[in-house]
Amino acid sequence: MTNYILKRLGQGLLTVFLTVSTVFILIRMAPGDPAVSYAGPLATTEQLDAVREQFGLNKPVLEQYWIFLQQLFTGNLGQSYSFQAPAMVVVAERMPYTLTLATAAILLTAVVAIPLGVWMSRRPDTGREFGVNVLTIAGQSMPDFWTGIMLLTGFAVLIPIFPASGFATWGGLVLPTITIAILQIALISRMVRREMTANFAAPYLTVARSRGVRNSMLTWRYAMGNSAIPVFTALGTRFAAMLNGVVVVEVVFAWPGVGSLIVRALETRDYPLIQATVLLTALLAVGVQLLIDLAYPLLDPRVRLGKAATA
Amino acid sequence: MTVLPQGREISRRRLIQFGAAAGFLLGTGSLAGCAGPTGLPGPSTLTLALNRSLVSLDNKLNQFDAAVTVQRSVRQGLTAIGPETEPILVLAERFEMTAPTEWTVTLREGIRYSDGSPVKIEDVATALKMYQQVQGSFVAGFFPEFPQVVPVDERTFKMVSKKPVPILDSLMSMILITPAAQNKPEELQDGVGTGPYVVTKFNRGAGTYSLARNENYWGPKPGIENVEVRFLPEESSRVIALRSGEVDIIDSITPDSREQLAGLPGVQLKEASSLRLNQIFYNFRKPAGHPLADVRVREALSWAIDGEALVKDVLVDSVSAAEGVTPGSLTGYHKTGTYTYDPEKAKARLAELGVEDLTLKIIWETGEFASDTSVMEALVEMFGNIGVKTELQQFEPGGNILAWRQGKQGDWDLLGNGFSSPTGLAITMMQGMYAGTPEKEATRDTYQGYVFPEVQAKIQAASSEVDPTKRQELLAQAQQAIWDTWPCAWAFVPKSVLAQRDRVSGVNLAPTNSYPLVDARLEA
Repeated sequence: MTNYILKRLGQGLLTVFLTVSTVFILIRMAPGDPAVSYAGPLATTEQLDAVREQFGLNKPVLEQYWIFLQQLFTGNLGQSYSFQAPAMVVVAERMPYTLTLATAAILLTAVVAIPLGVWMSRRPDTGREFGVNVLTIAGQSMPDFWTGIMLLTGFAVLIPIFPASGFATWGGLVLPTITIAILQIALISRMVRREMTANFAAPYLTVARSRGVRNSMLTWRYAMGNSAIPVFTALGTRFAAMLNGVVVVEVVFAWPGVGSLIVRALETRDYPLIQATVLLTALLAVGVQLLIDLAYPLLDPRVRLGKAATA
Repeated sequence: MTVLPQGREISRRRLIQFGAAAGFLLGTGSLAGCAGPTGLPGPSTLTLALNRSLVSLDNKLNQFDAAVTVQRSVRQGLTAIGPETEPILVLAERFEMTAPTEWTVTLREGIRYSDGSPVKIEDVATALKMYQQVQGSFVAGFFPEFPQVVPVDERTFKMVSKKPVPILDSLMSMILITPAAQNKPEELQDGVGTGPYVVTKFNRGAGTYSLARNENYWGPKPGIENVEVRFLPEESSRVIALRSGEVDIIDSITPDSREQLAGLPGVQLKEASSLRLNQIFYNFRKPAGHPLADVRVREALSWAIDGEALVKDVLVDSVSAAEGVTPGSLTGYHKTGTYTYDPEKAKARLAELGVEDLTLKIIWETGEFASDTSVMEALVEMFGNIGVKTELQQFEPGGNILAWRQGKQGDWDLLGNGFSSPTGLAITMMQGMYAGTPEKEATRDTYQGYVFPEVQAKIQAASSEVDPTKRQELLAQAQQAIWDTWPCAWAFVPKSVLAQRDRVSGVNLAPTNSYPLVDARLEA
């Protein structure tokens, strides 16, 4: 177990290192000049050169990369050009907002999507199942900026019960959470339905049913137990993806998370801020993936971490 | 097969369903309860939503529209740009030119920072040094030279320069005064100021600031106790936040949002002329013999543009067509002429000049001005009507349009661009756009290659003239000379538009697209 965790930690750190290195190179290959963003389009060549020197942008890329590696291992990724503050601090200020939104959205998704998927799997080919199926397809098809604007118009303007933007009160969490969760619920509930339907048709369930096991036990203990790993993995993966920022929702609801921060950092070519955001979100995503892996034996006792499956 | 006892099972399921529904309703209800009243600003709090993030309350690197409103409510300068774009006194009670290269300034008596410490001459001298030293400062570029501060007595000092700087009173409006010991050659993230408000809380990352009344303020007591500043980058979100009453004021709104908000109950719109000139500017780096190098061709092309249709139909009266080379709101402006729409005359003139099969490439950056893409598409149609083909190339913000503008990436013919004069002076805009020299052009630091030595000489003469009457005459001559070179196919001045809730009063929108927060009031 310890070896497995260490191995996965090593793999995770390598993934993070490769990710930030790739981003380091790609942003420097992209068009645009941080010095122009910083000093404005009317700055003279002399002023731009001075800014490039100040930020070390006039050094060869390899030298910049070496400096970046040194900073990476000290945890200080330099000053954000646009915020004039340590880039890691700026990202850390935003991260709690993204974590809150992602946690709320994934909890709402789990609470609604799993029972809904189970409910659908228990009523195949019925009118009600068909109706819910249509709704989930609609939920999958609606772009989240549209859903967000509709929710805002409905519940912040016409019936003003929720704040329209930001996170000044807990009520501000409701509409962005629902906006994100609608798509996730649609995806996860259909997945649960598929997994459960397959399990309901499996011979082991027929045997259990013939032995007089109660229906609720068959559903939640047997079928759900065997569907748990893919569903849990999907929820975990979605959660990890949300940690990179739910860009569109953050912009629509003016949510002060890392998604809107990275959009701004990209627009201003704020290299330290882009790198810090990628580093922190990649670390979190890798951490979440590791936790998911560690949870597998709890969900299915047959799983033994770090051991090859035997026939 | 064993048959499961269905009756008991269904009733349990129903119970669970009922419990889930009740839980959902309870949860939603309690969330709604906490959201509703507390989501709205309180009776003594004004909430502003800015379209760009205010990363600090210093302006060494960052000064835009409503940011000025917030920055000036915490930190102040010796002067400010008044509602008529003339300099007005703030921390100085006297600011006079006492010799061609010397200004005498007296600080107001008894002015103090919010922490109670007095404002000293040393603070002014240090502020000038810090603005000079900071890399990438847009402010420094407006100063032909930074004057030396020479104290005379405890409150009076002289500002001495090598050459006359007759607009120093306007330029000093951009230098915000901070205690010398706290000032640094960088954008200050905290510290005290002399303004009517103090910062009580801020989140730089989220761009939110909480301000409270400065009890030590030297001027009239501000009418509003607290001000919340929020950053809402998406315009539709700002409009919704205003409509819902969650924010009280949004600024810099586009024509589309203006139409949407006009006439809505509880919402008022305010307009002011602006300090910005948006232009469809020619590329002046064309070799001799190129059609655009001929002033007659540039003038003929301008006749293809139906400015009235652009103003009314595309920009829905949110702008006015320029009648000179600077906006009419600037001090020192001179009306030089109007853009005429006459496509037949344009065709005839181009034929007469032997211009055939002309293709124009128009470049611009997204968001350079409101409805930019619609304007460009209309231009394609208008130039097409006189037989001129067009090609559009749009750049995203942060891209490499500067390299294109400098001619380092590719050739182009027309640029959609805007230029502001934060000093409120026509001369500032003229120096930035039209005072190009061959030396500056060697490093591509002129405005799109605009180099006319006779124009530059006139601007130079106007900028160093200390007599106001003579300066205005020289400015008029310089502006006419610029107009005669036909630098733009068309130009327009956008209006600054702000929307506010009815409960707010005393918001006097100035051409700087800002307003003094100290004058704002909230309905009881």
